[in-house]
Amino acid sequence: MNDIRRRMRQTGGRGRKLRGLIDLLRPYRWRVTAMFVSLVVATAAALAPAPLAKLAIDDGIRTHDVGALDLIVVAFLASAVIYVIASAVQTYLVGWVGQRALQDLRVQLFSHLQQLSIGFYSRNRAGVIISRLTNDVEALDQLVEDGIATLFQSGLTLIGVVVILFALDPHLALLTFLALPVLAVGAFVFRIASADAYRLTREKIASITGYLQESLSGIRVVRAFGQEPKHIARFAELNDENRAANMTTVNLNAAYFPAVEFLSALVTVEILVIGGIEAINGHTSTGVVFAFIAALNNFFDPIQNLSQLYTTYQSGMAALDKIFELLDEQPDLSDAEDALTLPHVRGELQLDHVSFRYGTDEAGEWALRDIDLAVPAGQTVALVGATGAGKSTFAKLVARFYDPTEGRVMIDGHDLRSVSAQSLRSQLGIVPQEGFLFSGTVRENIAFGRPSATDEEISAAARAVGAEHFIEALEDGYNTQVGERGIQLSAGQRQLLAFARALVADPRILLLDEATSNVDVHTESLIEQGMRRLVAGRTAIVIAHRLSTIRHAGRIVVLEHGQIVESGTHEELIEAEGRYWELYRDWAEQAAA
Amino acid sequence: MLIFRRLLGFLQPYKRGVTWSFAFAFGAMGATVLIPYLTGRAIDAIRDHDHHGLWVWAIAIGAAGLARLGLSVFRRLVAGRVSLGVEVDLRNLLYARLQELELSFFDRQQTGQLMSRATVDLQAVRFFLGYGLIYIAQSLLSLLLAAVAMFALQPGLAALALAPLPFVVLIAFSYGRRSRPALQEVQQRIAELTAEAEENISGVRVVKAFAQEHRQLARFRGSVARVFDQAIYATKIQALYGPLISFLPNIGLALILFVGGRQVIHGTLTLGQFTAFYAYLLILISPMRTLGYMLSAAQRATASGARIFQVLDREPQITSPASAPELPPGHGHVKLSGVSLTFDGTRHPALSDIDLEVDAGQTVALVGAMGSGKTALVSLLPRLYDVTEGAVYIDGADVRSVDLVSLRHEIATVSDDPFLFSATVHENIAYARPDATREEVEDAARAAQADSFIRDLPQGYDTLIGERGLTLSGGQRQRIAIARAIAANPRILILDDATSSVDASTEQEIKLALRELMIARTTFVIAHRLSTIALADEIVVLEDGRISAQGSHDELLDSSPLYREIVEKGMPDQVFMTRKPHEARAVGL
Repeated sequence: MNDIRRRMRQTGGRGRKLRGLIDLLRPYRWRVTAMFVSLVVATAAALAPAPLAKLAIDDGIRTHDVGALDLIVVAFLASAVIYVIASAVQTYLVGWVGQRALQDLRVQLFSHLQQLSIGFYSRNRAGVIISRLTNDVEALDQLVEDGIATLFQSGLTLIGVVVILFALDPHLALLTFLALPVLAVGAFVFRIASADAYRLTREKIASITGYLQESLSGIRVVRAFGQEPKHIARFAELNDENRAANMTTVNLNAAYFPAVEFLSALVTVEILVIGGIEAINGHTSTGVVFAFIAALNNFFDPIQNLSQLYTTYQSGMAALDKIFELLDEQPDLSDAEDALTLPHVRGELQLDHVSFRYGTDEAGEWALRDIDLAVPAGQTVALVGATGAGKSTFAKLVARFYDPTEGRVMIDGHDLRSVSAQSLRSQLGIVPQEGFLFSGTVRENIAFGRPSATDEEISAAARAVGAEHFIEALEDGYNTQVGERGIQLSAGQRQLLAFARALVADPRILLLDEATSNVDVHTESLIEQGMRRLVAGRTAIVIAHRLSTIRHAGRIVVLEHGQIVESGTHEELIEAEGRYWELYRDWAEQAAA
Repeated sequence: MLIFRRLLGFLQPYKRGVTWSFAFAFGAMGATVLIPYLTGRAIDAIRDHDHHGLWVWAIAIGAAGLARLGLSVFRRLVAGRVSLGVEVDLRNLLYARLQELELSFFDRQQTGQLMSRATVDLQAVRFFLGYGLIYIAQSLLSLLLAAVAMFALQPGLAALALAPLPFVVLIAFSYGRRSRPALQEVQQRIAELTAEAEENISGVRVVKAFAQEHRQLARFRGSVARVFDQAIYATKIQALYGPLISFLPNIGLALILFVGGRQVIHGTLTLGQFTAFYAYLLILISPMRTLGYMLSAAQRATASGARIFQVLDREPQITSPASAPELPPGHGHVKLSGVSLTFDGTRHPALSDIDLEVDAGQTVALVGAMGSGKTALVSLLPRLYDVTEGAVYIDGADVRSVDLVSLRHEIATVSDDPFLFSATVHENIAYARPDATREEVEDAARAAQADSFIRDLPQGYDTLIGERGLTLSGGQRQRIAIARAIAANPRILILDDATSSVDASTEQEIKLALRELMIARTTFVIAHRLSTIALADEIVVLEDGRISAQGSHDELLDSSPLYREIVEKGMPDQVFMTRKPHEARAVGL
């Protein structure tokens, strides 16, 4: 019982979902109206032949009135022509409105995803997120494309048939509707049972997509270790799980739809027997029973269509659930309502007693504790410390990928929480360790942060960071396609492009996660020079790994366990013989070894 | 048509299931046709005031309904199993083929494109093979039966009423021909959209860092609009043909009314015959529509099938020859003779004329500028790529002549950007040897200096590490990758300057572990730093894909100006971190 209640809860929120769908259609209300008009006209035109044929028989053929027959045939053809036109218009409009609504939904989802914080992307697998944008929207596509037309055509037909049945014989009509409660209960049970099943199929296909994505990204590792058979076996398992999930829906459908058909046969028997006995007893005519049985076909067809639609509806709704789940994910770092546009900054950075922990767990460990630091505009700060000392977290707070748990991060005196993310990040340059490139040309990638950059600016930036040589050696120079769709660049080359990309963006404040391994012997000095060009005149926070970088920094901040243990210039810190001095001594010993 | 026939081939293993589902479908159809007939008899009984007859026919209808119930249930169960079976088969086949294809294939393919083949396209094929075929057969049979019945009644009128039929077929055919490429293009554009989304989600950190959300959104909008435009084009085709296909039968009906009606008035046709004629043609309309719909499903399945076959038909370039022997036993003697390598689609060879012999157990450092061919050279050993000219021998056997799996099991690589799978730490370390015990995994982790931080993770060795290992720091990922290589216990080890992103003291410890690990193995190190070079017995200097010098450190200082330059400029050797690393769940920026 509890199980059923849980399942019923899960199928709830339908109002919310329907409202969501209606919201999607609202901007196109005129086309939607036109669509409905054409639907009604097309449905009416599709229903017209039956009564017209009856009329032809009764008023033309039986009465031997050739003139009337001709007239009716003309009306018959006219209705068919109207049907063609209305149906064409309806098909076009349903397609247009449906596709447009899905397009909007995709864009809405995508733009929502763009607003979500980095934390969200760390928690969720990329494959699953992608599945929301693709598989789930596809499921909705079916619902919208097949659904709207079927819903209204079948609905209208059903209403029409009910009216006809009542007009023929109210008593028999009521008897026919006896089947409705049975149908309703059946549909309800079916719905509860299949809601879970359809949800499961969506989850399974998402996990297949996720697995596929991961094993394709890691294909080099798979190859290098010769582990293809293992992945094939695991994939086969996922595939089987997906099959099992789908099998449940197959079984449910196999039980339900034939049962509805059987019910229609039973109703036919019911009407034949009861109506037949009435007719034999003279309470009604054989013609009425005949007409009634004929009309019954049109009673169950739309019901059947509607229940067929129900499957599409189920998977569409399950998909919609997941989509709304994603849309409900609140951007935890949204701009304040009165967010200011950060004016052009000088680049003065201040961390005012900043503490931070990942997640909301109050008992969690502090990633940063009571960081108090003021960086004057134009200074380069090298963050030094072990893995996990808090260097990356420090940089992420400055980029406002996260908000501090306590304290404030300020640029030129503006609390980052009070300014819009857009205005903040447009003045911020970030060079991550891994140079991620987008599909596009070298030029587009360098101009990523400032698409309006001219060719001169782009090549100047490439020259400044020492990327010019290898770019010009590429087949199409700056127009060479890179990223997934293009050629593969080495890690060092990607790193150089990431530098150039940051330089073109010309940020006031630079966050640089120095590569530890990606840079090649030969380019190392180039990069060193490039980096110096990059940080010149800017405030720079460098997660530093190289002594040369650290030495040249205006200030070295040594982090340990999320706290600042020392800060000063290289000379000062050596003089002080503290933590930094110990580190330096260790390094010198090792370098000598 | 060829694609279509090949798709049908996937039903081969389910012959029995297909036969049964056809049998059940026709049985159910028979019952469906029987019911109106029985109803007619019952009506007759009512007209004749035949109580007994009425009951008999009514019960017969109930029985036919019951038979249809059973047949339909079984038809759905069997067809569902067939259809899902085909989906599983095709998807496994596709995945297995992807696992066989050489790396250069993936260098040029977008993951999203490949993924869409394994999901969206497959489902179109599955639906068609599982259900579409049955519907088509059912519709054709109904059309045939009704046509026969009509000709039996009144050949002249039948010919007239059925006259529009060939046009239906013609139009349906033309519909299919136009809509197939249109729909294929829709699928193609959806695949592009998927790729676009995938790239954005992978690169979300860069997008956010540069505040380029709006531009990425604009780009995505562009992709979405491309899908929309194409979908609308396909819809227009559908809006043109669909109504036309269902309109044509109405001409037949009008003809029956017009001509048949006159015949009844003139007494050459009875009213009953006329009604039956009309009813038969009505029966034809629904199968005709189904046929149209299923034809487009067939088009869609064929379009999807073509895209799937594109991958399936791609012959893997790098495979084991038939009945290839295992890699002969040995200690890792490696010889490259006259090796050249040119990557597909590039003009310049990545390697030319490489002759190199490495004794078993030796450590070779590869030194050279970016693009000088270091990575290309080591990727030839596990046959990630095949040589364009020359040959690579391991323990005397040409790598192309031995079993690929046995070859790769003897070579482990630690790259500079280690990829970890979404799995537990244990599973990642035991990747190459899934049967490794916890003890063996821990040993490997200890040797790679990873044991202590792993123990600090929430679930220790059973901690799930996320996609691309993002929840671990670069240094931690690196050490797990080293542990993974150690656990693989290979004959040949390839290190892509792998120790560089751990801190100095850990690096020192790793170096000790590596030294031990290297004793019994041949090791290739792509060296960026002097301290790494110091591990090597022999140094090979690469320049523009050629070996420009080779020897010990001292020899090379004398003989190779390039090496001297590299050393004099100072190898970057400044990885500089604290002595006692406090490991936490740091996330790379």
